[in-house]
Amino acid sequence: MAMHSLMFGWEYPPKHLGGLGVACQGLVRGLLKLGNRVTLVLPHGGVDTDDNLDLKFPTESHLQEMRIRSMLQPYDSPATYNARLAQQAAQHPRADVNLYGKDLGSAVWEYEQLAVELTKETDPDVVHSHDWMTLSAGRCAARYHRVPLVAQVHATELDRTNNKPNMWIYDQERKGLRAADRIIAVSNYTKNILVREYGIHESKIDVVHNGAPFAAVSQAHSPHVHQHATKHPMILFVGRLTVQKGPFHFLEAASTVHALKPDVRFVMAGDGYLLSELMDRSLSMGLGDTVIFAGKVSHNEARKLYERASCFVMPSISEPFGLVALEAIAHGTPVILSKQSGVREVIPHSLLVDFWDTEKLADCILTVLRETPLAQQLQSEAPRMLQHLTWENQASKILSVYNKVCLNL
Amino acid sequence: MTPPLISFYFQVHQPYRLRDLRVTEIGRDGLTYFDDEKNRAIFRKVAEKCYLPANRLMLELLNRHEGFAISYSLSGVFLEQCEEYGQDVLDSFKALAATGKVEFLAETYYHSLSALSSLEEFCEQVEKHVRKIQSLFGFLPNIFRNTELVFNNEIAEIVRLLGFQGILAEGADHLLAGRTPNQPYTTPQFTLPENMQTIIKRHRIHRESPKSIAILLKNYRLSDDVAFRFSDRSWVGFPLHANTFTNWLTASGGHSVNLYMDYETFGEHQWEDTGIFEFLRALPHMWEQWNIATATPSTVIDAWGTRQKEIFDAHTHVSWADIERDLSAWRGNRIQEAAFAGIYGLEEAIKSSQDEALLDVWRKLQTSDHFYYMCTKYWNDGDVHKYFSPYDSPYEAYRRYSHALCDLKTKLAKNQNTKSEIRNL
Repeated sequence: MAMHSLMFGWEYPPKHLGGLGVACQGLVRGLLKLGNRVTLVLPHGGVDTDDNLDLKFPTESHLQEMRIRSMLQPYDSPATYNARLAQQAAQHPRADVNLYGKDLGSAVWEYEQLAVELTKETDPDVVHSHDWMTLSAGRCAARYHRVPLVAQVHATELDRTNNKPNMWIYDQERKGLRAADRIIAVSNYTKNILVREYGIHESKIDVVHNGAPFAAVSQAHSPHVHQHATKHPMILFVGRLTVQKGPFHFLEAASTVHALKPDVRFVMAGDGYLLSELMDRSLSMGLGDTVIFAGKVSHNEARKLYERASCFVMPSISEPFGLVALEAIAHGTPVILSKQSGVREVIPHSLLVDFWDTEKLADCILTVLRETPLAQQLQSEAPRMLQHLTWENQASKILSVYNKVCLNL
Repeated sequence: MTPPLISFYFQVHQPYRLRDLRVTEIGRDGLTYFDDEKNRAIFRKVAEKCYLPANRLMLELLNRHEGFAISYSLSGVFLEQCEEYGQDVLDSFKALAATGKVEFLAETYYHSLSALSSLEEFCEQVEKHVRKIQSLFGFLPNIFRNTELVFNNEIAEIVRLLGFQGILAEGADHLLAGRTPNQPYTTPQFTLPENMQTIIKRHRIHRESPKSIAILLKNYRLSDDVAFRFSDRSWVGFPLHANTFTNWLTASGGHSVNLYMDYETFGEHQWEDTGIFEFLRALPHMWEQWNIATATPSTVIDAWGTRQKEIFDAHTHVSWADIERDLSAWRGNRIQEAAFAGIYGLEEAIKSSQDEALLDVWRKLQTSDHFYYMCTKYWNDGDVHKYFSPYDSPYEAYRRYSHALCDLKTKLAKNQNTKSEIRNL
C-alpha cells in the first residue's frame, strides 16, 4: 500500500553536518522508489538562508520540498546558538530575523508554528519526525492532520554529550518521544538507550538500521595490503572532532602503537571544537610527526584517505549508528569499531573494542598491520554486507512501521 | 524381522580457550596462552549441567539394564581438564568404565585436525591418546574416531594400518547414494606409499591389522533428532517421546542404528527442563521390553561377522559439521587457512627444539575448536558457531591465536639462539 508521509527533516545534503542529513535523504529516496509519496519539510540552517538550495531529485517528482527557515542547528548548544544568533542579527535585516526567537526554546516553538502552517494543504497518512529538533513540529502536524506520529531517533542528547545532557533538550526529547505513536531507532544500541535512559517501553520501538549510501567501490586496486612495504602504514579516523566521536581515545591508541611501531602514521580527518585541544595533546604526547590533522576533507580527499589507509578506526563513545564506517567498508578498508555503536550490528566483519580500552584498540591496529590474511579477509568480506543494506530495503521496513501504526496494531 | 542394534557413542571434549593476549606480551617468559579462569568456569558449568548428572544417569541405567551398553570418546585435552578442574568428573567416568559395559574409542589426543596436515603428528597424538585411556580406564581402544568425524579413504587406511578394527564416519548422503547408513562399510582397496607405511608402523597400536576396516556410519537424521531437534518447538516431531523415537529406530531397520552425538546434548545443549534426561532414562527400559539390543561399535562389528561389507568411497573429506559436512567449518576462509598453515608450519622447529613445554602448547593450539571459532561462513546470520564461541567474533579468535603463534615463533627463535651460543662456547 502506497503511503503519503509528511516528513519533518532537519539537514539535507549537500547542506549537512552529520549522518542525519544523509540518512534522511536515503530514506526519502528509498520511500519514493517504492512508490510512496513524501512531503519533506526542511528548515534552513543559519547562515544558509540566502542559498536557494536545489536538492536535485530529478526522479523524485513526488517530493514537495518546503523549507522553513530556522535558527536551530542539529549540533547546537545554547552557547553556540546565542553566538550565531548575534552574528545573524548583525548581518541581516531585522525583518528577516524576528521570525525567530531569541533563544533555543522559542526557536523550536517558532519552527513548530511554521511547520503546521506550511503543511495545512497536505493530506498525509502519517507524520514522520527526525530527531528532537523536529519532534514538536511533528507532533503539532500529526495532531492537526489527525494521523499517527512516527518519531525516528538518529541520535539522542546522551550520545552527543557523553551523558552530560542539556536538560532542556533531554526533556524535549523525552516528552516528544513519549507523545509519538511509534518510535524508530537506528540500532538496537539506540533502542536500549531509549528504554534505559528515557523510560520508553521497548514494545513501542522498532529498529531500522540505516542503509548504505554508497555501493562498494571496485576492488580492482587494493592498495591496503601491498603498500606497507614502501610507505608508512596509515591508520585513519574520520569524524567530527567532538567528545562523542572519541578522538582522544584515538590519540591514546596512536601513542601506544607509536611506541611499538614508530613508522605508523595516523590521520584524523574532520573538524570540530576539539581540534586545537587535540593538536596540543598530540604534541605533548610527542606525536607531532605521527598524527596528521587533515581538517574537514572533501569527498574526493576522503576517498583517497580510505584507499590509502591500512585500517579505519571508529572509537566513538556512543554512536547510534556510524555511517562513516560503511563508507570505509565501501572502500575496502578494514575497520575497527567501538562496541558502543549501532553500525557493528550490521557489520559483523570487523574488529570490536570497548571505546575506553585504548590498549586493546592499539593491539587490534597492530594485529591488522601484522596479519595480512586478517586485513585481506576484513577487506573482502565486509563490503558484501552493503549489498543487503540498501535504502530500498530499509525503506520497506519503515513502510511496515507506517502500516503497523496506521492500522493501530 | 529382528530389529536393528542401537549403538550410542558420545563425544566428550573441552578445548583450552585462549586469553585476551596482547602484542606487548609476546616473547615474555612464562607467558600463558590459555584462559584458566574461563576454562575452569566453563568446565564446572558443563560438569554440573551435563557430565555429572548424565554420568549418574548412565551408571544407573547400566546397572539396571543388563543388555545396555554405550561408548564414549574422551579427548585428551578433556581428560587433562578433568585432572585440573574436575576429579569428580573423572571419577564418574571411571565408575562407568568399571561396569565393563562401556567402550572407549581412540582419537587424536588434542582433538586436532593433524590428519589433514602431518601423518607423523597424527600418529603420535593417537598413540598418546590410547596410552592415556589405557592408564586411566584400563581399556585398550579398538575403534577410532577422528576429530569431528573428519574422514576419507586415506585416513581410514592409516587407521587400519595402526591396527584398529573400525572407524566412525558421518553417514553422508552423497557418499551413500541411497544406501542405508545402518550397516558397516569398508574402504576401497589401495596401498599407501612406502614412506607413509613406515611412519605408521612406528606407531602401531595393535600388532595385527584387520584385512578390511569396518566403517560405522552415523545415522545423522535420528542422531540429530535427539542432539539438535529435541527441544525445537517448531519441529513436527516435538515433543519427542521415547516410544515414538523407538518406533523410528526400528523402522530405520538394517544392522545397527548408530546414534553419535556430543555428550553435552544432555543437559547443556538440551537443558534438563526440556526433559532430555527423562527421555534418555526411558529408552533402555523400552528397548528391553521390545527386545531391542544395544551395542558398542566393537560389538556392532562383531555381530556383522564375516559378511561382505559394501564400499564407502570417500575421495574427499567428510565430517559431521554443518550442512556442508566438509572441512569448511575449520578451513573455509583466509584467517583459518593462515592459522592452520601457521601452526603446522612450526612442527619441525618445535620437535627439534625438544622443549616439552613448547610442544605441549603447540599441540593444544591444534585443537580444532580454535579454527572453528574463526569460521565466518554463517557469521552473518549469527548461528551455531556464534553460540559455541567464547569470543566476540571470528576476528577476535584470530587476533588471540595469531599472538600465540607469534609468541611461539619468538620462543623458538630464542631457543635457537641459545643453542647456537652453547655450540659456540
